Amino acid sequence: MIDALLLDCEQTESGINALMKSVDLGSRFDVVPLYELGNVDLAGYRGLLIGLHADQRFLLSRKAQLEAFLKGGGTIVFCGHVAYRFLDELSPYQPIPNYKVTDLEVIRVADHPVWEGVDTADLTFRRGVAGFYGRGANPPPPGARIIHVLGPGRHPVDYEVRPAVGGRLLVHAGADLWNYADSGNTAARMMPQLLDWIAKPEDA
Amino acid sequence: MSFAVVEGGCYYHHETINAPRFRGRFDRSFYAPELAEGDLDGFSAVMVADRISPTVLRAKRRLFLRYLKQGGTLIVLGENQAHTWAPGVEWTFKPTNFWWWLDKDTDPGHRIVNPDHEIFRYVPQRAVVWHFHGLLHPPPGAIPLVTIAPEMGGGPDGTLLYDHPGVADGKGRLVVATLDPFYHNGSHFMPMATAFLSGLLDWTDATFRR
Repeated sequence: MIDALLLDCEQTESGINALMKSVDLGSRFDVVPLYELGNVDLAGYRGLLIGLHADQRFLLSRKAQLEAFLKGGGTIVFCGHVAYRFLDELSPYQPIPNYKVTDLEVIRVADHPVWEGVDTADLTFRRGVAGFYGRGANPPPPGARIIHVLGPGRHPVDYEVRPAVGGRLLVHAGADLWNYADSGNTAARMMPQLLDWIAKPEDA
Repeated sequence: MSFAVVEGGCYYHHETINAPRFRGRFDRSFYAPELAEGDLDGFSAVMVADRISPTVLRAKRRLFLRYLKQGGTLIVLGENQAHTWAPGVEWTFKPTNFWWWLDKDTDPGHRIVNPDHEIFRYVPQRAVVWHFHGLLHPPPGAIPLVTIAPEMGGGPDGTLLYDHPGVADGKGRLVVATLDPFYHNGSHFMPMATAFLSGLLDWTDATFRR
């Protein structure tokens, strides 16, 4: 079994090339063009990584395949804003209206192996600028474990849920978590820890 | 007269086309992977939203070329690898300087070389000044609108936005940009990208929807 399959969306500066060439991280996942998903046997993978540039109308057309993967015990990680409900647990993104810097502070409300040792200040700010991590929420379904919220409005920016069909679903309402791998601070821990977490079939 | 947009199913396409801010500015929206023969017939202008899969756009290339051949106006926004499928388009990669604005004294290099062009009756000049994704090299007959100054790394002809009437010696008109406002507007990030798209849609309203 391979830890993960990453769906590539042909972006010029997505950061995927750097990840693919990284010996440690790159040897743990495959990359396939998004529109090839239908030709892939997902049974060979523990996790599926879907990023912000994904064509969600296409993903909606592949809902049965995604559900079958979850049913088989797979883990799906989605980063981005939900526009189309390509899984039943997903709800359309809600931006924080007229946000200010204080609304964008990342606050941890539950520990999670993916974010172990990650300083929330490294998530809130990039080069002193807030907002890259998230500016709103994909509203979590009942039973979700909320990991981070934003600002005093406590908008849930990260959650994990056990989908009704099975498996695990981790949702981040912002840019791809795997693109922090070269951030040079504690945020870089997310990508290897994400793969570690996916590789563990069931955490306690 | 009517105006269509081609989109790629990403959340930022959905948000920009359907949210109240720009709702009603497009007469028709087409999902690029399902764009079919004859869909573009009769539209005065067609905008290809930024950041659609270049593979999909190349697969639909013949439909865009046919639309141009019929005399249509095609407006292609950034990160679509237009240089691999649109007539006359040449582009070179340049690492994106997302952070130029952190130093308020920085000149990012943008120059409005044809300020009397009709687009600038609607697009505020300041609304084109943000990071950009590579440089276009306009072919003969194209009118450069926004360039990057040679001393700022733009080379002899580095361009962010140009208008090419009579493209490929035909009746069609091709407007090309490296800017990606659907992505930024639809991500609720970077108001200047929203201002650019707002001005561009004021131009399309006035020119192609009257």
